[in-house]
Amino acid sequence: MAGKQVEAAAVIDKIKIMKRIIIIFCLIAFVKSYSQTSEGSTTEYKKRVLETTEIDFLSSYYTQDGDNAAVSGGIGTEELTDATGTFVVSIPLNDDDILTIDAGVSAYTSASSSNIDPFDDGPADPFQASSGASRSDLWGNVTGSYSHSSDDRNEIWSTKLSVSTEYDYFSAGLGGSYTRLFNEKNTELSISGNVYIDSWNAIYPIELRPFGENGNRLNNPLFTRNNITGNTNYNPNFTPFDSEGRNSYSLGFGFSQILHKNVQGSLALDFVQQQGLLSTPFQRVYFSDVPNSFIDNFQLADDVEKLPDSRFKVAIGGRLNWYLNEVVVLRTFYRYYFDDWGITSHTASIEAPIKITDKFTLYPSYRFYNQTAADYFRPYETALSTDEFYTSDYDLSEYNANQFGFGISYTDIFTKAHIWKVGLKSIDLKFYQYDRDTSFSSSIITSGFNFIMD
Amino acid sequence: MAFITTSLFSCAVVKEYEKVNINDPDMTLSEKKADRNVTTAHSYREAAVGANGGKTGGGCGCN
Repeated sequence: MAGKQVEAAAVIDKIKIMKRIIIIFCLIAFVKSYSQTSEGSTTEYKKRVLETTEIDFLSSYYTQDGDNAAVSGGIGTEELTDATGTFVVSIPLNDDDILTIDAGVSAYTSASSSNIDPFDDGPADPFQASSGASRSDLWGNVTGSYSHSSDDRNEIWSTKLSVSTEYDYFSAGLGGSYTRLFNEKNTELSISGNVYIDSWNAIYPIELRPFGENGNRLNNPLFTRNNITGNTNYNPNFTPFDSEGRNSYSLGFGFSQILHKNVQGSLALDFVQQQGLLSTPFQRVYFSDVPNSFIDNFQLADDVEKLPDSRFKVAIGGRLNWYLNEVVVLRTFYRYYFDDWGITSHTASIEAPIKITDKFTLYPSYRFYNQTAADYFRPYETALSTDEFYTSDYDLSEYNANQFGFGISYTDIFTKAHIWKVGLKSIDLKFYQYDRDTSFSSSIITSGFNFIMD
Repeated sequence: MAFITTSLFSCAVVKEYEKVNINDPDMTLSEKKADRNVTTAHSYREAAVGANGGKTGGGCGCN
């Protein structure tokens, strides 16, 4: 009897031990399964890089004027207007990937480019627009880009393809970038590269075309129907470009850092190598050692600009943004630039967004820019026919420029205003006035509408 | 280099919950979309390009 009681006690003990083991196993299994569920939740419910499709419509209206048109050799009207409209659609493909389509057109009317052929109506004059086909053009661009973010959002890969075209220029581009975030996303490093394979459909000043290969020179109707004054034996030193390709390669490095809970800054370093036809084929040059020829008031070209077939550019820039308080933010930018054409440049800008209500922000801004002249720049009628390279494009001359801007934005984070299935999130309107210390000035009005799909 | 060195070794890490002001849309370090056409106009009319998120060369018959 006593033996049976001992056996029973032993069985009970074993059952208790088994119970304990089962309880411990269950606890371990529960903890394990809970932790797995938690990890699974992290993956399943990670924040999407972009919550919903966003659509931006960007537009601008640009005007400029000046007295140093490159088309007419550094003298003449630079009047130009340009209207641009662009749609940027960003589509989240899943939690990590975004596809962005960027498509835009730009239509310009230019008094100076109309003077590629100044003789097609009325008396020719570099300060008067002509009405020919070269007076206006349309530029179109489509860019598709794709980005992928890692699960922890510390790595971002992106790639893009672009095509743009206008009457005398075609471009195909390919690019990519890699971004890595460190230090609890306080530090960011990036590297990017772009390649553009471009080609000109060279358009030359009308009076030079008869002096190209197999041209009929002074027997061309342009010269038989119009009287040449000044040097009547017009004989320009003109040879069409034998290659019309232009390739551009760029490599960029970026670094950004949160310096304080109210301050962050960034540095960017870009290297650009360009090869091929870097001259603009319709920009005239007048030599000082060649007698001048005219039709009406328009001086006939001695040649088109000639620039080296390679150019290496380096730009280093920095931004520093400071959240002063709930009302004012300071946004600053500085860039130093130099290239192997002898140009150095400084750019500095400051913008101070001022929140006047929870929906409206004002954007006063100022930008200073200066550059030295390219080694090959020659003002109007100062190039020599013996020079190897020359241009009278005043965009490559020495100058200082000041730009003042003012803008206003409206933001409604709840997107109450709707058009069909898209809600209006923000509107930006800005105006900038740009003046060089030469005769050139320009202004631009820009607008940006940001919509979010429901 | 001084900026990078100073940034990396002298700044306390700002935690996610402290980034309310840093995440303000006006604090973004990239070019704002609404300013893109202004930057493009500069790249056509000025010799200097790059280091600002805009064009660096190629894609247009510009400087």
